[in-house]
Amino acid sequence: MILERRKKYLQVALNIRATTSDSTYIIADNKCADLGAREVEMMATAGANAATCLGVAPIETIDNFIDECKKFKIDSMIDMMNVENPLMILKKLKKIPDVVILHRGVDEGEFKKEKQIPYYQIKQIKGSYNNILISVAGGDTIREVQRAIFNEADVVVVWKNFYRPNAETANLAEEFLKNIK
Amino acid sequence: MINLLPPSEKIIIEAGTPFIKQYGANGIGSLKAWWSQKVGIGSYIVADLKTMDRGGSEVGAAAMAGASAATCLGLAPIETINEFIKKCEANNIDSMIDMMNITFPFEILQRLKKLPKIVVLHRGADENNNKSKKIPHEQINRIKGAYGNILISIAGGETIRDVTRTFFNNADIAVVWRSFYENPKETARLAEEFLKSAR
Repeated sequence: MILERRKKYLQVALNIRATTSDSTYIIADNKCADLGAREVEMMATAGANAATCLGVAPIETIDNFIDECKKFKIDSMIDMMNVENPLMILKKLKKIPDVVILHRGVDEGEFKKEKQIPYYQIKQIKGSYNNILISVAGGDTIREVQRAIFNEADVVVVWKNFYRPNAETANLAEEFLKNIK
Repeated sequence: MINLLPPSEKIIIEAGTPFIKQYGANGIGSLKAWWSQKVGIGSYIVADLKTMDRGGSEVGAAAMAGASAATCLGLAPIETINEFIKKCEANNIDSMIDMMNITFPFEILQRLKKLPKIVVLHRGADENNNKSKKIPHEQINRIKGAYGNILISIAGGETIRDVTRTFFNNADIAVVWRSFYENPKETARLAEEFLKSAR
């Protein structure tokens, strides 16, 4: 399975062991910074449907990463955490990735409250590259999910409320899903 | 490969990023145990985490596994680097900031609350094919001049010549991997040869 354009997705980040079935879409958040080809091969062989590479990595690494993702038929995701202008990175690449992740880091969210998720960049990027899907990470409330979808994001990443799963987790997922219909 | 290395406290073992992604904390623990059998309490393991976010939890996991040092990307958010250095101190391990893809490492160091123990000047493995990118040896003395206490590690050079140049330029650590990775049988000879330039 690869991601379809025109559909919206909710990405739940797990840091625990999870049982999965064949129709599951698994993203390996390997945040590749170097040795793009080797990491993609490792993740694809393990069964990932997509892998991530850092936007701050050397351009050579990102190019290798995207090439290798195509070779292994998995989606390439470039994580733009701490990149001020993602368009500048995209312009330097030989090929564009399948997905761009606009990301406020966990540490940034905790220690620097004024740092905002750059929703305005969603349309900027989609305006220049209409084939790219946009994923938004770093907001964990229902309100933030709504805002991401309203601003035309394709994937919304949540983890904090799923990190320690409990009886409420299923309800929470349902509630999030309502927002991405 | 650890079996083939000469038992020297001058050798630092790095758990590389792909290695950690494949084998995790257990892998770091195994390297620590194997290398300790050989050199005793002087065994030093670097966990090349290349932390980009969640500085605190990654350091905790590496330290628990037995790492003596961990790495954080200089390109990570400043909040992450600060948290990383703080947690390294709390866990009694050395903090290494990897300056890969950063033109002016100074600009990062100046913004930090506390200095790291070690700065890694790094030409990435993928960048090695781009011949115009050089290892920034000139930065070594500049950084040491401004911050006397920082150790400098140089990564991205692979030949004896590169390693000799690294130490000649006042670096404290030279990182090599490709020559070992590509000629595992030559491990012992290569290590002896590299160690000569680290005297």
